[in-house]
Amino acid sequence: MRLRVGVDVVGVERMARLVEENEGIADTIFTAAEQEYCRGKRRSAEHMAGRFAAKEAVLKAFGTGIGQRMRWTDVEIMRGSSGRPHVRLHGEVAAWVARHGLADLDVTLAHSAGIAVAHALAVWEGDDAGAQSWERGRALPSH
Amino acid sequence: MAISETEAFTAVQEAVVGALGVDDDEATADATLMDDLGAESIDLLDILFRIERSTGIKIQAADLGTHIQGGISDEEFSDDNEMISERGLEQLKKVMPQIDPDQLRGSLEAEKVITLFTVQNLADMVVQRADGA
Repeated sequence: MRLRVGVDVVGVERMARLVEENEGIADTIFTAAEQEYCRGKRRSAEHMAGRFAAKEAVLKAFGTGIGQRMRWTDVEIMRGSSGRPHVRLHGEVAAWVARHGLADLDVTLAHSAGIAVAHALAVWEGDDAGAQSWERGRALPSH
Repeated sequence: MAISETEAFTAVQEAVVGALGVDDDEATADATLMDDLGAESIDLLDILFRIERSTGIKIQAADLGTHIQGGISDEEFSDDNEMISERGLEQLKKVMPQIDPDQLRGSLEAEKVITLFTVQNLADMVVQRADGA
């Protein structure tokens, strides 16, 4: 087993502005279920920023970038029954982790003072390519 | 929908300046979006939507990888060590003509390719999209 972490921060006001100014941007970033969840919250921009940070943290933990034909909607962040965020993978990202042997994945997120932050931990089976990248500690293109 | 190269470059440069808060003289044609200008994923998203608002041309962030790879399969684009293959370098030279394949041969990781993408490369992509290529 190999471990790899990812972290990301997103400004809440910036996320709010992006969603307000760009019709359709929410569909690019969030699944229908994520949008429904966030829009049901009083401070929806905080929840959207946290989810975007979590998606980025997951992609960093995978060592992949959005420029590699993956879509943000491939990484869905939902609230689990215990209250912790729960990740569902779809599309290219799901196919990629299936090829590389993802054993487990956890993510946590928080927001304060206008900033949302998320951490992700990926556990890989065997000597996975992603784990090799982690061993070399190289920088990732997915910021 | 056609757009001139000058119009496309201006639209991309204005989007980059607006999204990243850099000066015009920093957002030059040969500046790389990620390494030189410090764009992160959310910035890229901001840039692409600004371009859509000013030109009507829609480019998804995930389209960048498809555009760069040019329809070549992952197996052909890079080798077993995830380094760009000879075929991959040929493709990259088409969409990023500024690169020197001799300098990158054997040392360019597939996941780093996006970091070489410049303001001009994005403007060229806008022109292609407008032409329906």
